Amino acid sequence: MTTVYEQRKAPPVPPVPRRSPAGLVLALLWAGAAASVALWWADTGSVVGAAGWLTGAGRLAGLLCGYACAVLVGLMARVPLLERRIGSDRVARWHAMAGRYTVCLLVAHVVFILLGYAAQDRASIVHETVTVVLDYPDMLKATFGAVILFAVGITSARAARRKLSYEFWYYVHLLTYVAVFLSFFHQLSLGEQFSGRAGATDAWYALYLGVAALVLWYRILAPVRLNLRHRLRVESVHREAPGVYSVVVRGRRVHELGAEAGQFFRWRFFGEGMGWTSTPYSLSAPPRRDLLRITVKALGDHSAAIALLRPGARVWAEGPYGSMTAQRSSGQRSLLIAAGVGITPLRALFETLPGEVTLLYRARTAQDLALGAELEAIAQWRGAKVLYALNGPKGQRPSLGVRALREAVPDLAGHDVYICGPHAFAQELYGALSAAGVPDRRIHHESFEL
Amino acid sequence: MKKSHPIRRVLLASAATVSGIVLLLSLKPATDSNSASAQGAAAQETAAAQESPQGGAAAAGTSTITGAATQTEYGVVQVRLTVAGGKITKAEAVQAPKGGTSDQKTALSVPKLNQEVVATQSADITSVSGATYTSGGYKKSLQSAIDKMKAAGANTAAPSQSSAAAAPAAQAKTVTGEVVSTEYGPVQVRITVAGGKITKADAVQAPSGGTSDQKTALAIPKLNQEAVAAGNANIDSVSGASYTSGGYKKSLQSALDKAGG
Repeated sequence: MTTVYEQRKAPPVPPVPRRSPAGLVLALLWAGAAASVALWWADTGSVVGAAGWLTGAGRLAGLLCGYACAVLVGLMARVPLLERRIGSDRVARWHAMAGRYTVCLLVAHVVFILLGYAAQDRASIVHETVTVVLDYPDMLKATFGAVILFAVGITSARAARRKLSYEFWYYVHLLTYVAVFLSFFHQLSLGEQFSGRAGATDAWYALYLGVAALVLWYRILAPVRLNLRHRLRVESVHREAPGVYSVVVRGRRVHELGAEAGQFFRWRFFGEGMGWTSTPYSLSAPPRRDLLRITVKALGDHSAAIALLRPGARVWAEGPYGSMTAQRSSGQRSLLIAAGVGITPLRALFETLPGEVTLLYRARTAQDLALGAELEAIAQWRGAKVLYALNGPKGQRPSLGVRALREAVPDLAGHDVYICGPHAFAQELYGALSAAGVPDRRIHHESFEL
Repeated sequence: MKKSHPIRRVLLASAATVSGIVLLLSLKPATDSNSASAQGAAAQETAAAQESPQGGAAAAGTSTITGAATQTEYGVVQVRLTVAGGKITKAEAVQAPKGGTSDQKTALSVPKLNQEVVATQSADITSVSGATYTSGGYKKSLQSAIDKMKAAGANTAAPSQSSAAAAPAAQAKTVTGEVVSTEYGPVQVRITVAGGKITKADAVQAPSGGTSDQKTALAIPKLNQEAVAAGNANIDSVSGASYTSGGYKKSLQSALDKAGG
């Protein structure tokens, strides 16, 4: 480690443990859905015949779909409460779940409403569709909105995601805002529940405008403010291991951002080979007064270009995000398990987690151990233990099963365990840890697998 | 951290939603409670429409004239004018959209529109922004009232024709057709006939509630236009509102029969 990023030798401060607000937020979201259904309930007198059933189902699906759209956008508004207290990964999974659900509701809404109206008019479904799309107020816009939303759903399906570039998926996904905007108007002009009901209309406006305000503030204005205030630039780039680079970023008073060990920022670097999409990279050391450091493995185009960054290059950062911090720990003993470049957030936590800390570092060879010298230094300074799990001389993988873990870490079940590594690695370890008696709530992991 | 089971979750969510929706739908009564209230509202409307005086003789003194009930997206608008000495001294809305935001909009727009009418003495008034539909309906109803007022004025000019019922074809007269019940509610058409031609057609009653509101808002203006254009009951149905169209045509025919006889 060079002198650029000096070790801070202050004793770790135990954090105030805080309960995750996830349960409360989920309850609120479901209550909103129930309220949407209540609108229908209060407004509907009777459900008569097949047409009544079909239209009723279509309306309910439509109401829920309209509500879900607002929730979807809200979940991705980068609200600190969601990103830092519940966890960006968990919120992203909620978003993905809600997204699938919304597309299903959208299809149900369209199909049932059209079938219902056609049954009511004794008209053919094709004829009815043409009438609804062309003659009903705001329906042309809403049709475009539905098509876009459906396309967003298709491009996000797992099978499609694998074949599409991140950038393409990302830009299609951005169209969701357009889709939601376009379909908003037909909800109020045609929504049976909104015509002539001031309360319902106001609540709907409040929901959508509230979400729009969150997006405007947390996705646009807050990042602009952050970057204007802190003026981040690349200080230096260091090679840590084959294909692994650390980037030190200097900015004015970055410690005021309140970033904690274990958190990440979304980064945009202005340099050759850098697209305009942001990429999340974890801090690989606790923030210093004017410095932040990330450690990146050259995997994709973006991360490969990191190595070529020059000192002085401009940096745009959004964050801090992520909830895998010391706040998660509930006891006095922690076990950190890293695989490969997954060491980054755990390296930062290794320095700051209070109590007794053990680090288990999995890598293919000794050469692949990034930040190794630093880890040894920290271990020595705070009397912590570093264990390595390297491949054997013939390339055989070391066992990380229940027995191996128990042998390496006495009183395994009494630890808080932080895992960072590829999804499969984490899943495997999760199985072993559960078998070893570590309760769910003490296994901390951030996975961006949706 | 937990193992993820996306497929299981999707299946669970779908099953829960489907059963929830089926449950909700089945808990609602399966008979139409709307038609009764629609009949009630319709009766009121007809009463209001019939109250309009044919008072030619009173034109010099003070008389009230009620315009046609105009269907708007948010409800029926009907204007009543008080006329003294050939001038509009007072304008008011006998019917205006009610319920929800409509209450506010009505409270906001109708007094302004009333004032404007008295000020301009014509139907050429500006719409109140934020209440375009109500304003539009108001203007239509106002126009019909002013037409009646002028016709009444013509009546006084020719004192021999004292009763509107006996008025010859050259005079404008309003005839209300029979109430035709359709699957979604009663339809009743009123036409204004002048010089043997339909100068105006509107629906005094039309299906309301549920999708019917939308369909009525969609179909009735078209049918009214068609009726005036065709001059008879041989008009095209509005697609997507075949029942309403059918009822409209029947009621229109009965009104034409009355006007002819």
